[in-house]
Amino acid sequence: MVELLSNNPPGIWHWLILSTILFSIGLYGVLIRKSAVGVLMSAELMLNAAVLNFVVFNHFVKPFTIDGELMGIFIIAVAAAEAVVAMAIFVAIFKHKKSIDITHIETMKG
Amino acid sequence: MLMLPELIVIAAGFIILLLDLFLAEEKKNILGTLAFAGLLIALGRTLFSFGQQGELFGGRFVVDSVAIWFKIIFLLAGMTTVALSWDRLTGKTTDIASRMKHRGEFYTILLFSTAGMMYLISSRDLVTLYISLELSTIPLFVLVAWDRDNPLCGEAGLKYVILGALSSAVLLYGLGILYGLSGSTDLATISQKITHSPALWLSVAMITAGIGFKLTLVPFHMWAADVYQGAPTPVTAHLSVASKAAGMAFIFLLFYRVLGGAFQEWNILFAVLATITMTLGNLVAIIQQNIKRFMAFSAISQAGYLIMGFLGPFPEGLPSMLFYLYAYIFTNLVVFAVIIFYANETGRENIDDYRGLSRTNPIIAGAMMLGLFSLAGIPPLSGFVGKFFLFSVASKAGFHWLVGVAAINSTISLYYYLRIVRQMYIEPTMEDATTLQISPMLAGTIAITTLGAVFFGIIPFFYETINQTVAASDWWSVITATAR
Repeated sequence: MVELLSNNPPGIWHWLILSTILFSIGLYGVLIRKSAVGVLMSAELMLNAAVLNFVVFNHFVKPFTIDGELMGIFIIAVAAAEAVVAMAIFVAIFKHKKSIDITHIETMKG
Repeated sequence: MLMLPELIVIAAGFIILLLDLFLAEEKKNILGTLAFAGLLIALGRTLFSFGQQGELFGGRFVVDSVAIWFKIIFLLAGMTTVALSWDRLTGKTTDIASRMKHRGEFYTILLFSTAGMMYLISSRDLVTLYISLELSTIPLFVLVAWDRDNPLCGEAGLKYVILGALSSAVLLYGLGILYGLSGSTDLATISQKITHSPALWLSVAMITAGIGFKLTLVPFHMWAADVYQGAPTPVTAHLSVASKAAGMAFIFLLFYRVLGGAFQEWNILFAVLATITMTLGNLVAIIQQNIKRFMAFSAISQAGYLIMGFLGPFPEGLPSMLFYLYAYIFTNLVVFAVIIFYANETGRENIDDYRGLSRTNPIIAGAMMLGLFSLAGIPPLSGFVGKFFLFSVASKAGFHWLVGVAAINSTISLYYYLRIVRQMYIEPTMEDATTLQISPMLAGTIAITTLGAVFFGIIPFFYETINQTVAASDWWSVITATAR
């Protein structure tokens, strides 16, 4: 088993399929999750799929540069900032409604 | 020196943040003055740098005439938002519920967002492009959810932040594919290296979806109505102009600078998006009761007109788009200034509540009417002239049916804009109506924006100036060089 794996390192296709699966799981989570935190986690999963994309392309397309990895680091940092703002808003909502179930947040419609 | 306007804005933001800690509450009026002064100095520096071109950081930060025109829009929008939020933040409104707190942080976050937008149009690299886009968007999430005590604000913030994170994930995935296809994050290199492939189309589709969120293109417009309604009204005004202009800047960089060579193939995409955006925005606006929701759908349909500037590989495309953007921000800010004035004094936000405004405050009602007519595109106001240039671009690109659709849509929009005019001029006055006192700050804003909305259309050299200065930039040669 170990021999099989070490003789066949994953190629770009495997990584891209992995990132597509991650992205799809994230999108599915955004659509079906009821808790706002769950939705945010799913959106972060989609961002991570994008990061994986950049890093994988960097490794296979331009092996001796760092552009893609640099982008990956920046995306992680920005995603953290986004999560902070989102959490602060969730807390503010929780104070009013005692719940962050997004199916109940529907005062405005139309 | 090229980056001076951005640095001034950021420095002003930090100074306000620090001063906010030390100043006593009654002295905090100076913070608003500082924010306004910072933006004004940056605007002066930007205007002064017309005609200059140059780059910093190995071509990752470029200033040219296109960037300068966009930066002026962002700075004007920022200044107007400071002016519009003045009474609410200083607690001078008659309606207590519309007062806002924490003005130091408000100005800081507003300035950071403005700086992000200014960096956005100057960046020539996927990394800086993405960072500056987020620098302009994340502060807007905070501004939308500003009023912690108001559940509507929180709800608007939640919807905005979740959909914003989703859209930036989709956008990034598209950018990632673009990077994979070209092996570079530099926009010029990408535009030379990409070839036609299904992967490119996937990437274009994802980028359009991600940026369509910011531009409120149908079908990515879902957040707009709720966020516009729930957010504090000055923030709504800022969103409807600055955020939209930032979206236009982003889409301009990607589609003109990167995918410019493939123009002919993707302009049908924009024609379809423009059609459904303006039609749906207009039809849904007819049935709205809340004026902020109404303006949200009006802004959606205006976005449909705006992207008509992307239809063809013509040198007129960008100038007419920029001209309409200017006409749109002035006109939209007139309307929002009146909405804010009325909400400040009475706390009312429904269309029916405007009845009889022409009898109690005739001048303000007149300004509102001019603004609405300009949005609908009645000559000789600036909205008409802007639409004329955009429609001629669409017609030149061969989309005659789209011009027909857009003309019909303008007529529909006139119907619902006239609904408000009817309330103001024909319906009987409210029982308790008295002449409302307007604060000097709002009066000045309404006066200046109304003058802008009227005279941009009448003075012909404005479009000519945009046309000539924009021609000095290299955006057109980029497209013709990569065309195949």
